[in-house]
Amino acid sequence: MRSLTLDHASFWYPATESPALRDVTLDVAQGEVVALVGALGAGASTLLLVAADLAPRVTGGRLAGAVARRDRSGIVLPTPWTQSSGMAFTVWDEVAFGPANLGWPTHEIARQVDRALERLELVPLASRDPATLSGGELQRVIIAAILAMDPGLVLFDEPAAELDAEGARTLWRLIRLLAREGKAVLLATSALDALPDVADRVVWLEDGAVRAVGTPDLLAEVAVCDAGLGTSVATVWRASGLPEPYPLTVAHAVQRWQ
Amino acid sequence: MSIRLLALIPVAAAISLALSAAVDAVALPLFLDTTGTILATALAGPGVGIATGVMTSVVNTLRNPTFWPFVVVQIIVALYAWIAARAGLFRSFRTAVPAGLGLGVIASVTSTPISYLVFGCTTTGGIALTTALGKALGLPPLGACFFGSFVSDFGDKAVTFALVTSVLHALPRRTAARFPWALRAIGAA
Amino acid sequence: MGGRLHPFTLLAIAAALPALAWILPAPTGGAWTAAVALVLTLTPGASPGLTDTGSSPGWRPGLVVFRTAVLTAAPFWLFLLLLHDVPTTIAIGLRVTTMVASFVWLVAALEPARLVEAMVAAGWSASVAYLLAATLRAVPLLKTRAQRIVEAQRCRGLSPRGGIAARLRALRALALPLVLSALHEVDERALALETRGLVPGIRRTPLAPPPDPAVEQAARWALLLACLAALVRRFI
Repeated sequence: MRSLTLDHASFWYPATESPALRDVTLDVAQGEVVALVGALGAGASTLLLVAADLAPRVTGGRLAGAVARRDRSGIVLPTPWTQSSGMAFTVWDEVAFGPANLGWPTHEIARQVDRALERLELVPLASRDPATLSGGELQRVIIAAILAMDPGLVLFDEPAAELDAEGARTLWRLIRLLAREGKAVLLATSALDALPDVADRVVWLEDGAVRAVGTPDLLAEVAVCDAGLGTSVATVWRASGLPEPYPLTVAHAVQRWQ
Repeated sequence: MSIRLLALIPVAAAISLALSAAVDAVALPLFLDTTGTILATALAGPGVGIATGVMTSVVNTLRNPTFWPFVVVQIIVALYAWIAARAGLFRSFRTAVPAGLGLGVIASVTSTPISYLVFGCTTTGGIALTTALGKALGLPPLGACFFGSFVSDFGDKAVTFALVTSVLHALPRRTAARFPWALRAIGAA
Repeated sequence: MGGRLHPFTLLAIAAALPALAWILPAPTGGAWTAAVALVLTLTPGASPGLTDTGSSPGWRPGLVVFRTAVLTAAPFWLFLLLLHDVPTTIAIGLRVTTMVASFVWLVAALEPARLVEAMVAAGWSASVAYLLAATLRAVPLLKTRAQRIVEAQRCRGLSPRGGIAARLRALRALALPLVLSALHEVDERALALETRGLVPGIRRTPLAPPPDPAVEQAARWALLLACLAALVRRFI
């Protein structure tokens, strides 16, 4: 079942003439992870804001085309320090901020918050002041805060930007787990090497439009690598002058080599 | 009030209070403690400006309780800034600085009775000393108190208006367009 | 005492004492209220952790809050002596001391988190609670950023020397990055708040509402009535 459908969606920010999104048609099903890849300014963040019903409602601007959402959405933005509520004095309260705003009863809030803290390995930090956390810790708190609201559609904009390698691995495992639980996940990331294990589909955005859609194998295609969006293995293979098709992962490269 | 304007208020109030670091670094006798109020008003109108002024006073009061009676001044500043924004007076320094000087007079007139009646004109050491100077020059008590407030407010508000003008002109169009009054304040709408 | 009282009770006491100091005839009224306010600063509930006093070896926590109140009020007495006669100095000085001591005690005794929860539990708009909490949180963050900008500009040659014009240009170079970066973040903050459900008109669930016994509610009403009665008596 589709959680999100964009049908020929175009979007213009206020006081701009060229659209940030051009004629995008895309859907995300429940239980699916769709990754958006593209160069800076390709429109991935804008697409996420449109999907989250924040553009044009909060950003202003103009939307053309149709957007249909079946589930409540939650979005994780790239910079954690602008996402903290400003009202919470402990990590627990920060994660509980969203569920409290939804008017849930306290026992349900506690259940969701405790679950989210466990998933993001934040239980030892529960009583810490969010203002004292590192960027990576705060980003995990924000992710927990969004998950505690139990959205059906989860949107991530560069969620691993502030995380160390171990934190990023925890995040990718969590994203797959969310999909297994039936949530729809739409994710914009430049961590291309993680996508073969994380994403079911990859959407290549260029200049606000969809250039190509496919499985993660897309990240080893010639055109994608030419645009600088291939996985590290594919990029190195190509740079070494080795023949197509480029391998997607180390395992593929070993297979090809043998 | 939209969420964007709600999010603006604490940021604008914090701007007023954080600029003291910049003022200290250049060793100028300024406060700039109405910068956030004037900026918020120029961007989003008098309601947001007044709320910013009140929040600035609340936080200032937690630091020094004698600030609270002067919340009235912050409200007057917001209303004046709104009139200035409607008239597009932030379009250049040539219009903004005189408008700021005008606010300096109004702020002094508003703060003097509060300073006199509540604190006997002793709100800061600088005001107390300039009040004493005014008294020595033969001014009546209220006049001496006004003299003290005027000396501190006059230049401060002119610099604040100039600073807000710089900020409004430096804002990218795309960002400014998201605030209801920003373009009108600089005469661009 | 302060730490266990409901936040609204703390606010009521901190507002009533200065009000009574101004309403009651000077200097007796001011002397009583100043004495009560200074005694409050010595109560165990006044924690120096919330008062920006720094560490003071040898001072008990209550005395640190008391010291802050005295040191904040002291300059006013000096300036008052400079400008006024002794009776006026005493009358105004006692009122100002009451105000200062009441608020210093309030800041030391009041936990912002408890106040926010009390506001939500009492049915205040979540937006108002947000404004108070978010402003308190934003100020130190922006102050730290301002200091970093000052240090960065100093490394680039910014100097406090020179005429007024040069200093004003330097002020602009310091203030503009701070203000523009803060404004740029407003958009992201708005998006984050919206996505986490802080929308106008919501009925937010209080997470840990502080208990508000009937006796404290009655005490707050009694304080209000006492102020009104004193006002009526003063002018009739």
